[in-house]
Amino acid sequence: MTAIALSDYLILGALLFSLSVAGLFINRKNIIILLMCIELMLLAVNLNFIAFSHFAGDIAGQIFVFFILTVAAAEAAIGLAILVVLFRNMSTINVADLDQLKG
Amino acid sequence: MTFSIPNIAFALPEMVLLGFGCALLLIVAYVDRAPQGSGFIAYWFSQATFVITGLVIFQGMGGEGGQTFNGGYIKDGLSDILKLAICLINMVVLLYSRHYLQARGLFTGAYYILAVFATLGMLIMVSAYHFLTLYLGLELLSLCLYAIVAMHRDNKIATEAAMKYFILGALASGMLLYGMSIIYGATGSLAIPEVAEAILSGSVNRVVLNFGLVFLVVGIGFKLGAVPFHMWLPDVYDGAPTAMTLFIATAPKIAGFAMIIRLLAEGLGGAHAHWQTLLIILAVLSMVIGNLAAIAQTNIKRMLAYSTISHVGFILLGVLVGTAEGYAAAMFYVLAYVLMTLGGFGMILLMSRAGFEADNITDYQGLGQRYPWFAMMMMILMFSMAGVPPMVGFFAKFAVINAAVDAGLMPIAIVAPKTFQWALSVNALAVLGLGFFPGALLALCTRIFM
Amino acid sequence: MEKYIFYAFAAILLFSATMVITVRNPVRAALFLVLAFFTSAGIWLMLEAEFLAITLVLVYVGAVMVLFLFVVMMLNVNLTPVQEGFTRYLPLGILVAALITAEMIAVLGASHFGLDIVSAPIAHGANYSNTKELGRLLYTVYVYPFEIASVILTVAIVAAITLTLRRKTSKFQDPGKQVKVRREDRVRLVKMDAVKPKPPAVASEETAS
Repeated sequence: MTAIALSDYLILGALLFSLSVAGLFINRKNIIILLMCIELMLLAVNLNFIAFSHFAGDIAGQIFVFFILTVAAAEAAIGLAILVVLFRNMSTINVADLDQLKG
Repeated sequence: MTFSIPNIAFALPEMVLLGFGCALLLIVAYVDRAPQGSGFIAYWFSQATFVITGLVIFQGMGGEGGQTFNGGYIKDGLSDILKLAICLINMVVLLYSRHYLQARGLFTGAYYILAVFATLGMLIMVSAYHFLTLYLGLELLSLCLYAIVAMHRDNKIATEAAMKYFILGALASGMLLYGMSIIYGATGSLAIPEVAEAILSGSVNRVVLNFGLVFLVVGIGFKLGAVPFHMWLPDVYDGAPTAMTLFIATAPKIAGFAMIIRLLAEGLGGAHAHWQTLLIILAVLSMVIGNLAAIAQTNIKRMLAYSTISHVGFILLGVLVGTAEGYAAAMFYVLAYVLMTLGGFGMILLMSRAGFEADNITDYQGLGQRYPWFAMMMMILMFSMAGVPPMVGFFAKFAVINAAVDAGLMPIAIVAPKTFQWALSVNALAVLGLGFFPGALLALCTRIFM
Repeated sequence: MEKYIFYAFAAILLFSATMVITVRNPVRAALFLVLAFFTSAGIWLMLEAEFLAITLVLVYVGAVMVLFLFVVMMLNVNLTPVQEGFTRYLPLGILVAALITAEMIAVLGASHFGLDIVSAPIAHGANYSNTKELGRLLYTVYVYPFEIASVILTVAIVAAITLTLRRKTSKFQDPGKQVKVRREDRVRLVKMDAVKPKPPAVASEETAS
């Protein structure tokens, strides 16, 4: 029984990364799933950083992951805010039509 | 890594900008309920912020440079000049966009807060000497830009543009990060000088390094809008309100140029031969497709977007040469490009009124009769973008091509052809010429139907 | 033993990632994403990144995914229709993705990162604290990125509020103004003569004739 190699983690990260990119290109209909694909993509990157950091005995990679997590949370908040505005706009078009009928 | 007390005097411009940004945030929070809104105060406060930051940068210019914050920050000649340019350009951007924003109810404090923080992101990128700082500066800038594009909330097209910008920007960040992670694995470090040292020492696995490099270049290509990755750029430029387009099309390109220099030239200088090949593809495609597509546009914002793509090609052409001369030419090109774009979008802002966007090329017919002076200015700008001799655009193109030829990259220097440039200028000039002398065509049309 | 755990986690992670990008219901996709984050946290624990593993669960599962679910439910997104061209382009897409993945695996595989090239590190002792180590670096060497991260979070707040907050100017009531209101503002007394107005029918007849 051997230990787990660095290549195993990296291949897992590569598979996850390609899955998320594939998801971005397959899903042309639902924006919220596109945002989830972006989260998956960052997860793959984080796995890479942590694996390299662990095998090199250098903690800088983990620090980088810490900041990626922070930024990704901020990014998700802004992405969802833009999404909400987009959906509101689609519905406000109908509301605007109703207003015009009153005048 | 050992800790040393940072020399915070180097980072004074960023600190001043951050302090003023936070003060602006508080002021806007308090005066936002005022009947006339917070736009007026926020406008003058952010202009003052840029003036003071610019003065601080100017005062520190030419002084001793160096790294601080344990290698996260660098102050050198490049960073001083680019930072000063960013502050000056943003002042002009705010000046140009004020009336446009007022006419559309967008003259709010929030826009100025985001503009100041976006500028902070640009300064951080320009001074970044560590992958982490570079990434954080880039994200700070990008997040502000997504919000700025989406700011016109009731505008369906603008929010759609913001969504597109967000998705592709996040994809670009992901690619960039994946590349960074692989390079971290290959070189064992995230600090740019250490990465450069590791590559030069020859102990790095070349296959893995190139693998990471591809992702890095794809990420940069997405962020800058170089050709296979340019799809978002015309849509965003077109969909965003013109004042926001002006903001995203000018100063962030300077920061983007700094990112290329820090990552590719300084960090991965030892792998120049590899990224040169990748950049050649991007540069040639950008120059050709950008110019060809620009001719077919009827919307002036889309036309300027495609012209941006071709300018990005020229900037990459200067960078890929890999000599000091090439970098200098690319830097000159970036600054000239920003000046020209500032003028181009400024002209659209000048012509647009409340409820009228002036974004069709046909809107500019007869400009010569109504406003001969502005038509003249527009012509000078278009000539400059097309690279006609006495304007700055010509010297920028000349410097880049000259550097490429000197480095023995003759074939590519030829692919940066004048023909497309001329076609573009003929397009713009035909419109303007008709504005100056509409009589001839009008007489012709009349004769046909009479 | 460790290896089996890793493969089990990896299989669950890849399965849930596949489900995220293929299911039609966004709520299900979000829940599968939660599963993916949990499994990743497990894998990170195996890589001795304990603090980040806990953070991933707390921040992502606890905050970000709740935000996602909240938005999905607030917008009341219906099931997305079966994607156009989904099945048509699927074989080609799978082929391209498989080729790219194969190339990635070739670079990242055992020939460059196998155990004989990068040997497994010695595990840290029981008295080693990952959190302490991270914190020590975060507040000293990485203090500059730390400050930038705080600015990024501020910007996220400002941007999210600017984009989504709506001041209801028309329906907004100011209690102060309500209290301060005087009788003259609300009621207007009009003096009128006590005469009967002409019936309007006459007027209309006159205009008609």
